[in-house]
Amino acid sequence: MIRRRSLAFRIITRVLAITTLLFVVTLLGYYHYTSRIVRESARANAIELATNLSGRIEQVLQPMEKLPEMLATTLEMGIFDMDSLHHILEAVVSNNPTVYGSAIAFEPDHFPQHGTHYMVYAHREGEGVRSMIIGGEDYNYFYMDWYQIPAILQKTYWSEPYFDEGAGNILMATYSVPFFTLRDGERRFSGIATVDLELEWLTEIVDEARIFDSGYAFLLSRNGVAVTHPDRTMIMNKSIFSNAEEWNAPVMREVGRDQIAGISSFREYNIPGRPKLWIYYRNLDSNQWAINVVFPDREMYASLRQINTLLIVFIFAGLLLLSIIVAGVVDRLAAPLTQFAGSARSIAEGKFDTKLPAIRTRDEMKELHDAFTHMQEELAQYVVNLKEATAAKEKIESELRIAREIQLAMLPHTFPPFPDLPQVDLYAMLKSAKEVGGDLYDFFVMDKDKFCFAIGEVSGKVVPASLFMAMTRTLLRTIADKEKSPARIMETLNRSLAFNNESNMFVTFFLGILDLRTGKLTYANAGHNPPLIIRKQNGQAEVFEPAKSIPLGLFEDFVYGEATREMQPGDKLFAYTDGVSEAENAAEELFGEDRMEEILLLCREERPRAVIERMERAIDEHVKEYPQSDDITMLTIAFNG
Amino acid sequence: MKHTTETRDDHMIVFLDGRLDTTQADAFEKAMTGLLDEGHTKIIFDCEKLNYISSSGLRIFLIMQKKMMGVAGKFTVCSLQPAIKEIFDMSGFTMIFNIQPDLEAALKEE
Repeated sequence: MIRRRSLAFRIITRVLAITTLLFVVTLLGYYHYTSRIVRESARANAIELATNLSGRIEQVLQPMEKLPEMLATTLEMGIFDMDSLHHILEAVVSNNPTVYGSAIAFEPDHFPQHGTHYMVYAHREGEGVRSMIIGGEDYNYFYMDWYQIPAILQKTYWSEPYFDEGAGNILMATYSVPFFTLRDGERRFSGIATVDLELEWLTEIVDEARIFDSGYAFLLSRNGVAVTHPDRTMIMNKSIFSNAEEWNAPVMREVGRDQIAGISSFREYNIPGRPKLWIYYRNLDSNQWAINVVFPDREMYASLRQINTLLIVFIFAGLLLLSIIVAGVVDRLAAPLTQFAGSARSIAEGKFDTKLPAIRTRDEMKELHDAFTHMQEELAQYVVNLKEATAAKEKIESELRIAREIQLAMLPHTFPPFPDLPQVDLYAMLKSAKEVGGDLYDFFVMDKDKFCFAIGEVSGKVVPASLFMAMTRTLLRTIADKEKSPARIMETLNRSLAFNNESNMFVTFFLGILDLRTGKLTYANAGHNPPLIIRKQNGQAEVFEPAKSIPLGLFEDFVYGEATREMQPGDKLFAYTDGVSEAENAAEELFGEDRMEEILLLCREERPRAVIERMERAIDEHVKEYPQSDDITMLTIAFNG
Repeated sequence: MKHTTETRDDHMIVFLDGRLDTTQADAFEKAMTGLLDEGHTKIIFDCEKLNYISSSGLRIFLIMQKKMMGVAGKFTVCSLQPAIKEIFDMSGFTMIFNIQPDLEAALKEE
């Protein structure tokens, strides 16, 4: 349906390119924005989870802390009888299910009668509770963490978690509270009261916490050792710092440091070779243990990715649908164009009544249809007009051809013209540039032994010039009947032509009368190109002097002069119009008078006809195919004496 | 052929440029007739750039000359190129036209 490079194809590719770009930009923006929201919401979830966990742990830890604190207070007040201490401790243990044991340990030599060490300890054993007095060389508690650290700090202290081997490998932690007694009126540090807390319940609470699909929580001790962890093998195993080293994960070290400093944070948690994780951590209020909530990046963004996938699928389905609809619409809209193309070809072949595609819409297609209809009508009309014009032109041309025949018939065209006059041999030629022209020549015999000849050129264009020429030729013959001198003939001719010459046409004219007995040539020149005489005697060309009179037809009263020249037997006179000397070729180079003279000298021995034919050939060679712009007229007269 | 006109003092100067042949003559004749109708009495044809003239062209010069004679005006031709001058000489027109070597002379000449 969609042809390559068709309108539909081009529209669809452009529309698709733009919409796809828009969608991609929108999707990217949307993804960026929503992923921030998703991350924020994940962070809030993690914080809430950790806070919740923290609260539940504190709910257990804080009452536990009260036990040794209460013991310390009562010991300071001296309420207890020393012998009843183990009863009290047994009661503490048996009344608190998460308490595994409780102890009161005194400073060295607190009771000199009992020796250096004195410590009362109650703990679970089987179903019951047992108490004992311990301490001595075999159990020197003064150097144990749970005693020494709070003793030095004079502050309460949570021990690191530890496995109590004696109690069956139960994970425990001890809370120690220093206590003081008055002795000799002075308040002195006297020992440590403790509870040992089982930590199994902690694991249960923390392990229950879940976030996303596989997110979990774990508890790290002050030293970064796992107190709880879904993976049991991690518990009380390596610290976060040694794992950071081992897994080449600097972020773990940073997290460990934050937790020691009590800083909480939400951050990426990248461990090389594992999927990307996010972590949130915060410390418990009671001790410096830290709750860590961890979940995979993939799960955090899972819902977002799902929505995006759906969006992309919908968008592509939408674009596909759009393409199909656009292709259909454009093809239907553009269908007439193909038909118009066919119509145009048909019209080009001359079938102006070619049927056009029917257009029912009122859009650009309708405009095209109307333009086509208009073109058909105009073309049909144009062709009719053209035919008429051509017919008219042909008519004029044929009339002009007839006019040319008439015009040429006026000029003498029989050669040799005077077989009974051996004194002259002559030849003349007139070649019009258009059907009719303005050049003329003429010759005739006056009074038996006077030979009159003339050559001339009318100014101006084809038809008017030819009429003026005909008039000149007719007047010449009429006038020459009466007047016998060239100057008189010229003046009379001029007067006649100038009379009522509103169009200001004129004719350049050379008229000569040759006395056949003497060879004396009398002539007058009215602005015509001076002729030449080729002298037989020396083989030279002799150019006549330039005209001293203006062309005929201009000023009625102009006085024309005449001059004479002798012709010797064998001399030839060559007269011409400027169509010869100014014959032009394609490069606008003129044939020229020099070339003309050159040819004349070349054929000085030839007869007039040969001279003129030779000149004509030379002109043709010069002009070649370039159209002739002016009439060419030549007249050659040989005087034979 | 192109032509431009310019008025200097009371002279109307026409500068001819190119070939004044038969095909160009008509348009030029119309333009010049228009100029005559405006009533100028001192007209100069500056032919410095005129490099060809046909007989139809010469006819326009003649019309100008005759019209100016008719109104006792003055028609001057100046700066003829040698080839054109030759045509003027050959046709005898040198005798009836006031021909000056250059525009300065044509303007000065009274």
